[in-house]
Order: sequence, then C-alpha cells, then structure tokens
Amino acid sequence: MSVDFLHPGEGAAIDRDVPALELRGIDKRFPGVVALDNVDFTLEGGKIHALMGENGAGKSTLIKIMAGVYGKDAGTIRMRGREVDIKSPRDSLKEGIKVVFQEIALISEFTVAENIFLEGYPTGKGGSIDWKKIRADSAALFNRIGFNVDPAARTGSLPVSQQQMVEIARALAHEARVVVMDEPTSSLTPNEVSLLFTVIRRLAALGIAVVYVSHKLDEVFEIADTVTVLRDGRHISTRPIGEHTNDTLIQDMIGRRIDNLFPRKRGAPGSKVALFVEKLSTAKKLNDVSFEARAGEVLGFFGLMGAGRTELAKAIVGYDPIASGTITVDGSRLVPHDTRTGVGLGIGLLTEDRKSEGLMGELPVYQNASLASLGAFARMGFVDKAREHRAVQDYVDRFRIKTPSLFQQVKNLSGGNQQKVLIARWLMRGLKVIVVDEPTRGIDVGAKSEIFALIDRLAGEGLAVVMMTSEMPELLGLADRIAVMCEGRLTAIMSRDEATQENILNAAIG
Amino acid sequence: MSLASTASLKDQPSMLARLFARQELALLVCLILVLAFFSVTVENFLSVRNLTNVLGQASLPLIAGIGCAVVFISGEVDISIGSLLATIALPLIIIMNDSNSLLLGVGGALLFGLIIGVVNGYLTAYAGINSLIVTLGTMFIMRGGVYLYTGQRAIPDDASLDSFIALSDGRLFNVIPYSAVIAIVLLAAFAYMMQHRPFGRQIYAVGGNQEVARLAGYDVRRVKFICFIISALLATVAGIILAARVGSAQHTAGLNFEFQVVAATVLGGVSLAGGIGSLSGMALGVLILQFLSNGLRGLGLPTEWQLVITGMIIIAAVAFDEAKRRRANGG
Repeated sequence: MSVDFLHPGEGAAIDRDVPALELRGIDKRFPGVVALDNVDFTLEGGKIHALMGENGAGKSTLIKIMAGVYGKDAGTIRMRGREVDIKSPRDSLKEGIKVVFQEIALISEFTVAENIFLEGYPTGKGGSIDWKKIRADSAALFNRIGFNVDPAARTGSLPVSQQQMVEIARALAHEARVVVMDEPTSSLTPNEVSLLFTVIRRLAALGIAVVYVSHKLDEVFEIADTVTVLRDGRHISTRPIGEHTNDTLIQDMIGRRIDNLFPRKRGAPGSKVALFVEKLSTAKKLNDVSFEARAGEVLGFFGLMGAGRTELAKAIVGYDPIASGTITVDGSRLVPHDTRTGVGLGIGLLTEDRKSEGLMGELPVYQNASLASLGAFARMGFVDKAREHRAVQDYVDRFRIKTPSLFQQVKNLSGGNQQKVLIARWLMRGLKVIVVDEPTRGIDVGAKSEIFALIDRLAGEGLAVVMMTSEMPELLGLADRIAVMCEGRLTAIMSRDEATQENILNAAIG
Repeated sequence: MSLASTASLKDQPSMLARLFARQELALLVCLILVLAFFSVTVENFLSVRNLTNVLGQASLPLIAGIGCAVVFISGEVDISIGSLLATIALPLIIIMNDSNSLLLGVGGALLFGLIIGVVNGYLTAYAGINSLIVTLGTMFIMRGGVYLYTGQRAIPDDASLDSFIALSDGRLFNVIPYSAVIAIVLLAAFAYMMQHRPFGRQIYAVGGNQEVARLAGYDVRRVKFICFIISALLATVAGIILAARVGSAQHTAGLNFEFQVVAATVLGGVSLAGGIGSLSGMALGVLILQFLSNGLRGLGLPTEWQLVITGMIIIAAVAFDEAKRRRANGG
C-alpha cells in the first residue's frame, strides 16, 4: 500500500521486515570519476533516514539513481522486496519515489497549482483537466502543511524560498512510498524549517520512508532516526542517530583529513585597499552593497541560496550590468563597466560554472590558460607559441596541475585541475583582485585542500581574494573577514575572530 | 480555510491586471486599430464580402499556424510546411483523377503528410538533430521532388468533383467560406487541447523546461514527435484546400508560405524559445497580417511595400514583447 498525504484515509500497514527501498552494490562511474563504489542503502517505511557526506561524496548521484535521472552501472534496487528496473524518472515516480531536488525543478511560466500537479493532472469525465480540483487541492495542501504560498501565482515570479516550498508540496501531492528531500532547507527561514519538520514527521507516521539529505548537523540530530554517511563515493557507516555525536559524524564525513584541510601559510593582510565597492545596486538583485578588500586578504562572502553572491561576483568584475554605484580597482574606477576594462585594471572572475562560463573544454590546456594574456605573448600581432608554452608550463609546474601534456583537451582533466588552469589564466594576466565563486563546487575532497592552499598562496602573494561560498567550513577556514548577504543586501561584515556559525547564519537569514 | 479565502480576495485586483497584461488583449486592440484605420481609408473594407474574403484567405495560415505554434511551444521549429503544402497536392490530385473519390484522395494526402511528420519528428526527437536543420532539409527535398515530378507544369484536377471544388468556393449559409469554418473548428479544438487536456499542458511543460518535464515523468521525445505529426497533418489540410483553389498540383504552390505562417505566429506572441504563447494569440497574429495586407492593397500600395511594412511590424512586435518580459522578470 502506498500513502497519499492529502487523503490519508486508509493508512498503510507498515511491514517492518521488508525494507521500503533497498539499494545493493550500486556502482556509478563518470568519465574519470568513480561517483559511487558498491554502495548499499536501505530504507524502512515510517523512518527518517539522513544521508550525509561532503560535496562530491556521492549523495546527489545516489539520489539521482533513485529518481531515475541516472542509470546505475551495477547493483540492484528493490521496492518492498521486489526487484525493480528504474530507467527513467517516470519509472521512479510510478514506484512512488518522490524527490525534492536541491535545484528548483519547476516550470516558471506555470502557476504554482499547475506545477504541483505536473506529474499527473487530475482529470474529469472525458479526460479533460479538472482545474477546479487542482486549485482546491493545492490550496488545501499548503493549508495542511502551513506554508503561505499563493497557488494562483506565476511560479517564476516567486522568491526562491517560496519555490522551494512549492517543490516540497509537489512531492506530497501524489501517492508516495519514499520521499527524498535534497537540502530542502537551504533557503527556508527557521520558522519554515520547523513547519517542514512537522510535515516530515507526519509523513513518517503515515508509513512513508523519508530520506533527508543535509550537511547541517543540528538538523540531522533533530529529525533523523538513522544516518548513512558516504565519503568519496563509498558507504562509510549506517547507524541509529543515538549512536552518533557531532564528532563521530564529522569524522565519518571527512575521514582523517580534518586537521590539514585549511593550511594557512600566509601572513596578515596588508593595509592597501585593492578593491573598493560603494553603493552598488543592480536592476534585479543587489541593493546598496558597499565594502572594500585589501591586498593580501581573503574576504569571504556567505549567503543562502538566492542571496545574491553570484550576482555580486559578476557585477564587480564588469560581467553583468549595474544600475548604480561605483567599483574602484587599485585606485581606478571600473568605467566603462565591462570585463575588458575589468581585466585591464586587474580584476577577474573565477566562475562557479566552469563548464559554460570558464573553460573551452575542447581546447588544450595551454590555450585555456593563456586566453586572457595573449597580448603579452604577441609579437607584431602574432602569438609567440614558444613563449606562450613556456609561461603555461611554468604554472603547470608551480600549481602541480596534473595533465599528460600542455596539449591535453581541458575537459579531460579532473575538476580540481581544471580549476587550477583557470586560476593560472588569471595569474598570468597579473591580477590584483581575484573573485572566486564557489571555488570547490564539484571538486573531490582530496583536491579541495589543494585549491584552499592555492587560494591561501594567492593572498600570500599580495592579491585581494573575494570568495563567494555557501560552505561554512570553507568560509571559516580561509577568510580573514566575512561578509554576509541576504536578499541582495549586505547584512554583516565581521572579522574571522568575531565570526561564529550562529552569527553568520543569523545575518544570512536577515 | 481562512488562508484560502484571504488569498483569493487579495487576488482580485491582480487578476484584473493579469487579464490586461495578457498578450491576446494587446493583439486584439491592434487588430481593432487596423480594422478602424482601413474602414475609414478604404472603400468597402468593412463590407461582409470583403471581410469574409479575408477570412477565407486567412484560413490557410490559420490552419497551418496551429501546427506551427504547437511545434514552437514544444521548443522546436518546423519550416517544411510550405513545401508540404505543394507536395501533398500530388497524391491528392493523382489519386482523385484515378479514382474519382475525394475520400481516397484526402486519405492519400493525409497518409503522405503523416509520413513527413513522422520523418521530421523522428529525426528531431529521437535522432537528436536540430529541428531547424531537419525541416530545412525536408523543405528542400519536397520542393525539389515536386519540381522533378511535375517538370514545371501543373497537373490539373481532371476529376473536378463538386465536393472538392466546394472546398475552394463553397460558403456556409452562403456567407462564411467552408475553409474558414474548417479553420475555426480546428482552432477551437486545438486551443481546447492546449489549455485543458493533459497532453496540451505537457507540450507547454516540455517547451518551458525540458529537464523539469523529464523529472515530472514525461516522455519528452514522444511529446515532440507528436507535435511534428500534428504540424504536418495540419499543413496537409491547408494543402488540400489550396489544391482545391488552384485546381491543380504545381511546383510553385505554397512558396514562402512557411515564413508567412512563422511571421504571424511570432507576431501572435508565441516564443521560439518554447513554452510561451497561445493559439488565440497566433490566430490574432494571422488576422492582423491578413487584414493589413488586404487594406494596403485597397489603398493601392504595391506588394513590395506590404512586405517592407510586414517585416517592420514583426520586429517591432517582438521587441515590444521582449521589453515587456524583461521588465516583468526584472521587477
């Protein structure tokens, strides 16, 4: 029996002996990466099971296999003891597996109500859509959960936090056996989080197996019955939450690397202001943002999803247009506001989206590295290849970029090495300010500490590093000062010594 | 309970605002302005005869425009419809001349159209080739095929069946051309499908965000495949009416027709990016361009000027639309 959150009349008899969902020996490989290596994961009906691990541990891959987004390379999946073949999202939905994805997966032109019933429209006689029922049921659903969202609103016009609520509601609109929530609280307020937890407990009481993916320890200790930890694509442990402490959980998640993840070698920052931003606003997001970054300093920007970090990064390097305000790099105003002027003054962006905004995957390592500084290697308008290769080779050696040769297509490098190629591109150009947006997104744990060391070194060499991150450890481990954003505004700037997880989060919530 | 009622109360003004922000309303105002302008400047413009004539002329782009809009909304394009219009006259006329049966001729034409739809749809949705390239290819292939087969001379309709000729000059109650009746019926049926049938909403979802549609369990490829079949079949219907009007199969039939349809569809607010627009918008786009062309002719302006003016209107309309959308998303 499956259970319908809206009409929970005939509650399912929970058979404790047979797992609701059982994954055994799951393997998944991507070119150059083993994403999952012989992973087991078993869910019981009526239980809340937390899935934890660092970025790149394999949580998302495992969820996407459950959701039918990826196929598995090896292993078996059983629903209530019966082996099932999940080849597409449709198969997964049919088995009653509902996933709330971290990235918003809604049609922005549709109304909230229509998005909630996207998976299967209620129809009347003759198979036409029963719009009345859709509106009434979605209003009832929000009412039952306690979320305050207008079902008639155009989804794309809502703030991210409300879209996240729509996503959550959608998973409950149809009969479900397993509900997976991937970082569902990333842009919710504490009050909304407690509403969500009430819903999750109610789901469990109905006999539904809930998977709760998060890297927030306090949330997991509050809500979960059981915790499974993945690390580097492998299953590390599955234990009742009662057997864990903060320390044991962290240890399982990051293994032995805990001490040397943030090696600090640089000295104190200088006093020279390298970047000065005053009253910066953009049409869409940023609202009156002012700050300065000094040479030799790592200035970390934290914010929840939709806070405006990426928008700020793109605006201060001249990539996105601004509505008002001034940006001064090393004493000169960034006017006209474009990337050509920005690079000329010495400010560059290390994008969060390496694939589409950073690298030219098909081109070799050396061309990717030298892109911004071809002028320096030119003689009478032609690039001096020998000088270009020598300069790139120098960076490959210094940064220990692992590549068979300068001529390797950059798409074949690992994420960490691709990131180093991009850093080399900017250093070769002689930057004074480097803006890094989520520098370790999609990078293996091992390579992360190398990127951290590199950022430490950049600051040590006198660059001002402006780092946008959503990773608290990264922020606390690397930054000299911490700036916090919320809804496009700057809500706090504090020194590393004043900063605690709590006051950072408070500022991020606004 | 209280939450729902306060929400709906709060919605009242915004609902009205939303209605006025609708694309269709702006287009309707445009159409009325066009009609008003020519009713003053052109004699007999508003006569029943002229209005129904324009309606008859509009029926071909209206019928084919349904398919064009459906394919656009799914996030693809189909520019093979003009060539298809000319091509299906061959099986239609040949079979009718042979069998003296309209039913067999129409059946043969629809079968041919179905095959073209399957080819376009398969190559785009399943083989993953860009739809602009695929339909550009089939457009050339079909046009070349008609040239090869007819050798530059028309194949006349020797059967001259009354029922076939009625398609060109027959009028319901002696007023509304049959072709316009067919167009209106098809338009109503497909508009209903797009708004009230699950499949119609799937087309919007697929065009709006393919990945989201897949996650919601939709078979994205199948949806697109069917859209191409719809487009080809509707172009076939338009082609049958065209063949009845010209009384033959000839290689120049429907030349540049696809661009006329694309222009009206885009003017009607259907986005090439997919997921946005409506069939009623497309229909208003067709009517605006048809009445404009009719009125300009009434003013004695040469065809060349009509082309220039049409081009300017399309760019202005889409630029206006884009500006409006940007403001809506930016605010």
